[in-house]
Amino acid sequence: MASPSAPRARGVWPVLLLGGLLLWAAWPWLPISRAAAPPATIVFYGFSILGDTMEQGIFPAFQKAWAAQGGTPVEFLSSFGGSGTVTNQVIMGVPAELVLLSLESDADRLADAGVVPARSWRALPHEGVVNRTPFVILVRPGNPKGIHDFADLARPGIGVVHPDPLTSGGAQWAIVAEYGAGARAAGGDPAAGERLLAGIWKNVVAQASSARAARTQFENGFGDALITYEQEALWDQARGRLRAEIVYPRRTILSEHTLVRVDHRIGPKERAAADAFTRFLWSEEAQKIFVTHGFRSVEEQWNAGNPAFGRIEEPFSIADYGGWAKAKKDIVDGVWKDRVMKVRPKP
Amino acid sequence: MSATVPIAGPRAVRPLVPVTLLLAVLLPLILMPLAAVFVFAFRGGLPAFGKALASPDAQFALRFSLLIAFATAAVNAILGTFTAYVLSRYRFPGERPLGILVNLPVAIPTVVVGTSLLLLWGPIGLLGKLLEPLGFQPMFAPAGVLLAHLFVTFPYMLGAVKPVLDEIEATYEEAAYTIGASRWQTFRWVILPTLRGGLFTGALLTFAHSLGEFGATVLVSGNLRLRTQTAPLYIFAQFEAGNVAGANAVAAVLAALSFVIFFFLLRYTTNRREA
Repeated sequence: MASPSAPRARGVWPVLLLGGLLLWAAWPWLPISRAAAPPATIVFYGFSILGDTMEQGIFPAFQKAWAAQGGTPVEFLSSFGGSGTVTNQVIMGVPAELVLLSLESDADRLADAGVVPARSWRALPHEGVVNRTPFVILVRPGNPKGIHDFADLARPGIGVVHPDPLTSGGAQWAIVAEYGAGARAAGGDPAAGERLLAGIWKNVVAQASSARAARTQFENGFGDALITYEQEALWDQARGRLRAEIVYPRRTILSEHTLVRVDHRIGPKERAAADAFTRFLWSEEAQKIFVTHGFRSVEEQWNAGNPAFGRIEEPFSIADYGGWAKAKKDIVDGVWKDRVMKVRPKP
Repeated sequence: MSATVPIAGPRAVRPLVPVTLLLAVLLPLILMPLAAVFVFAFRGGLPAFGKALASPDAQFALRFSLLIAFATAAVNAILGTFTAYVLSRYRFPGERPLGILVNLPVAIPTVVVGTSLLLLWGPIGLLGKLLEPLGFQPMFAPAGVLLAHLFVTFPYMLGAVKPVLDEIEATYEEAAYTIGASRWQTFRWVILPTLRGGLFTGALLTFAHSLGEFGATVLVSGNLRLRTQTAPLYIFAQFEAGNVAGANAVAAVLAALSFVIFFFLLRYTTNRREA
């Protein structure tokens, strides 16, 4: 057997180190360091590109406005990911109270799973749509491949970075944008839409789980072009961090982002704050913050506030395709999943 | 045939060529990626590194990960030792399958662990469905993260303690029993002291694995910042969101911590062997 003193001497440093680590780790929860009573919390889940805007803009602004109204302090707990990922998490039971999704068909999935009553979000202002942003193409500085519209992305030799429609709402918007742009260029011919969609998807070199992750891939050097929300590009441009050029397609879709309240999860302590926060999202103050961060307001009058918004000659919306319930069935599932992906050559 | 010609020890041959070759392989494979984490973490200078670490989310993620790692190590130290004791001291039907079963978590992909935990304890899971009306929901809460880590790291403690238990000569224990010691007294005063080394190694291994666990955690935690986001999840989320500096600062801390743990582990095990 080992002598009793030797291992003990050797064990001093690890024990000291681990003890110190434990003390540091537990510090905020120790009774001596407790600063104040825990405030009411609102648990907010949002789709990927909202992260900065909510955490730096909307949450602090609401906390200030709420305090000015004499409301009790409220803390936001948030998580951001692909709209599909967020939807699945909420269905699996994460404690989300407010969910801002990229597209209404994810909200429909929540309703189908019994998390919220069907179409309950339509009772909110603007039928639940908080803000909008058109789909654009990001290319490398100087546009070396000469990409000027969606049609150029179908050319041989172009590498396209695209979010994954399985988990990303942005990807589904992009699919409708690509299909719609192709069809509209040919006077509304669905076959032309499918051809353009198939052409672009032949060139997809990387798929990420969310629009935000797709942009990180593009920034890390993958591909020649990225199809994404205009907001993503404008927000970087506003901070002087955009190392790409924005290409505005002649025809593209404006995405509409839907707020869903999971009412049965909102506790009595939080209800007043959650209700006020819901109203706040459509207030002039919040809408102007969205505009500063590159989102287009649902109130056209505030959109003059951001001179960086590009002009789209022929914008269209999901309503042109019968709303998301129909577009999901006809375009995303009917054309993209069942036809385009079936014929796509294996890499 | 008997070896009459003494074979020259490999150490005697010129080491330059194989060592250079080994380094050439290891450099891009292991050493350079590790260096890249630190290079990127400190690229903005020390103040930027400090600022990235000072963000409340990063602080919480690191603290939460450490607490979970401590809790995992503590619980599995007890559970693992108990399992090792039962498996090594008792003979019973089904003993061998059970011995294999408790080691299974090493072989199961961690994502599968996360999925299976959700399908058991989650709100739509087999047990979770019954628990939810009672207001008890372990998934997407710290308890869920702890459950996942206990599962994933279970075999490490067992692997470190059981061989030592198997080796202890029965005479010491028998001697203890003959002078009237109970099973617990024997365990406490005869067996436990010899297990100290195994416990230490097992706990450090468990701690290190828990600190870096990702696959199961990402599924069961809900990835909620300031509530259930562990350090590896924070790194992943920040990296995906393009905040490479923030991700790397925490990554560098995690890497440094695992170096320290590994250093202690290595020193302890080599010292023990030499002793």
